[in-house]
Amino acid sequence: MSSHYEAPIRKPLVIGDKNFHDVTVDVAAPVEGRANKQWWIVFSIALAAFLWGVGCVAYTVGTGIGTWGSNKTVGWAWDITNFVWWVGIGHAGTLISAVLLLFRQKWRMAINRSAEAMTIFSVIQAAMFPVFHMGRPWLAYWVMPVPNQFGSLWVNFNSPLLWDVFAISTYLSVSLVFWWTGLLPDFAMLRDRAVTPFTKRVYSIVSFGWSGRAKDWQRFEEVSLVLAGLATPLVLSVHTIVSFDFATSVIPGWHTTILPPYFVAGAIFSGFAMVNTLLIIMRKVSNLEAYITIQHIELMNIIIMITGSIVGTAYITELFIAWYSGVEYEQYAFLNRATGPYWWSYLLMMTCNVVSPQVMWSKKIRTSIMASFIISIVVNIGMWFERFVIIVTSLHRDYLPSSWTMFQPTFVDAGFFIGTIGFFFVLFLLYSRSFPVIAQAEVKSIMKTSSEKYKKLRDQEGHNNHSHSDNH
Amino acid sequence: MKALYKIALLACVSAVATSCFDKSRPNYQYFPNMYEPVPYETYSEVPTFANGKEGQLPAEGSIPRGFTPYEYENSTEGYELAKANSVSPLDSAEVDLPRAEQLFTIYCAVCHGDKGDGKGNLVKREKFLGVPNYKDRQITEGSVFHVVTYGLNSMGSHANQLSQEERWQVAHYVMKLRSEL
Repeated sequence: MSSHYEAPIRKPLVIGDKNFHDVTVDVAAPVEGRANKQWWIVFSIALAAFLWGVGCVAYTVGTGIGTWGSNKTVGWAWDITNFVWWVGIGHAGTLISAVLLLFRQKWRMAINRSAEAMTIFSVIQAAMFPVFHMGRPWLAYWVMPVPNQFGSLWVNFNSPLLWDVFAISTYLSVSLVFWWTGLLPDFAMLRDRAVTPFTKRVYSIVSFGWSGRAKDWQRFEEVSLVLAGLATPLVLSVHTIVSFDFATSVIPGWHTTILPPYFVAGAIFSGFAMVNTLLIIMRKVSNLEAYITIQHIELMNIIIMITGSIVGTAYITELFIAWYSGVEYEQYAFLNRATGPYWWSYLLMMTCNVVSPQVMWSKKIRTSIMASFIISIVVNIGMWFERFVIIVTSLHRDYLPSSWTMFQPTFVDAGFFIGTIGFFFVLFLLYSRSFPVIAQAEVKSIMKTSSEKYKKLRDQEGHNNHSHSDNH
Repeated sequence: MKALYKIALLACVSAVATSCFDKSRPNYQYFPNMYEPVPYETYSEVPTFANGKEGQLPAEGSIPRGFTPYEYENSTEGYELAKANSVSPLDSAEVDLPRAEQLFTIYCAVCHGDKGDGKGNLVKREKFLGVPNYKDRQITEGSVFHVVTYGLNSMGSHANQLSQEERWQVAHYVMKLRSEL
């Protein structure tokens, strides 16, 4: 151990007097214990919201899209806004588990499991919108290029909406595999600790007979690295493709080449904000403050600050280019955003996305849990409005003034959105009580380098080595 | 052995999946959104009309564009008048004998015979008899048109099958056949 060198500037990632067994016990505790009253209350609320959403979707599919507030001019409104919002939120999970793995960021280990779960649950929410915003969702399978009896009638591969299908389905499946692979050692841990035959059986099935041999671990690491390498371009391309829905159009306000990186930056921005929201609560209710430390929150805040600044730069770039282009439609699109009937949503978006991340420059704010929590929610409100502004303000006033109109959502629009939020939390709450929410196998791998206890031990030993070098 | 089970399973699944198809009835449909027409289709059954038919008769005396009413009535006098006075509106350039031959072959030759000698297929098979030879009858193109339009004795009207112009073509062809007999 004394041969290990770690810069003393690095703060411990696992705080408190924790040994390997403590990690196991702390991670397994929420799974092995029983849900308390608060959990049931929150779960019931989420379930009610989910069921309300199911009702709204059933009403939409049964009655027609006309139950929504979309109209002939504004054909996309809350449906696609929510779709892009949920997909964006999902991106942070892959960012944390893949990109931060490639950059060897040890602090990701305490948060990657929940971030990945958040990815999967939010991509599921996102995937519902492309299906249920269809006029005829029962023919949704026609988007798949399957041989058929219509003379093998094929799909047109030129549409970004088709690329969305491939992007989202690939993204969901790769994320799921990546997540589940990482879960195997942790499920095996739960299996080995299980006391009831039922939990033993369940965790035996989901852990796929993981026995933790050297060869298994070696391949596990390789698979993780390869999947991280694959997931990184995937995560960038998925939101790029989502942005192509707009960027490849001819609508002033949509047709911009900045959209792909700007959407990706916005996705990371909103996704990290969501991770922060969830983990700030989770570390408290699941007693994981020793693993999800203030340092984790601070680092996520820094990423929020950086990506928020990228988004802010993109806003300014768009405004500059609109002015610089000399295209009156483009100029009007941005004038309309700022001063048109939806000025309030533009103002809200600007305030939430440009101003709120900038307060993170203050160490006092970014290391404050309460401030981080509030800002993380503000960011997600702002990012929802970003998508709303891009979609609705560009559509409701474009080339022909005779087609100018307004958009007014109905309760069904809202109900569907509330339903997805409910569904997300139903899944996340169930996850947090049945899955190991921290990748304990990974955290154990950094215990000796980065936990407070071992850092102290090493320091002592280091001092001892200087004085009594014959100890070895 | 495992492969055998899989094949058996596949056979069972396909048997179950296809067993509900009854050849004596139209097959099941998956979301027949626009299979059934909203407007009235020609020849369809329509409950809104008294006789339940889509094809309603036009008002008597109405004349559609591009149609000239035939002015000889369906009677012996009408026949005689038509025979004497009715002449073809087609000039020599408009008479299209190859097409007239096709029409004749389709609508007339089965009784009258390809040559117009009264020895059509039905007569040869003795399904019925009494079809005259054209050369035995004193006919003009006007009387042929009249008979094709209204029918005569055993012959029914062919106004349903042939348009006015087509009937004149056939009349010209009949006169040509008669001249060759």
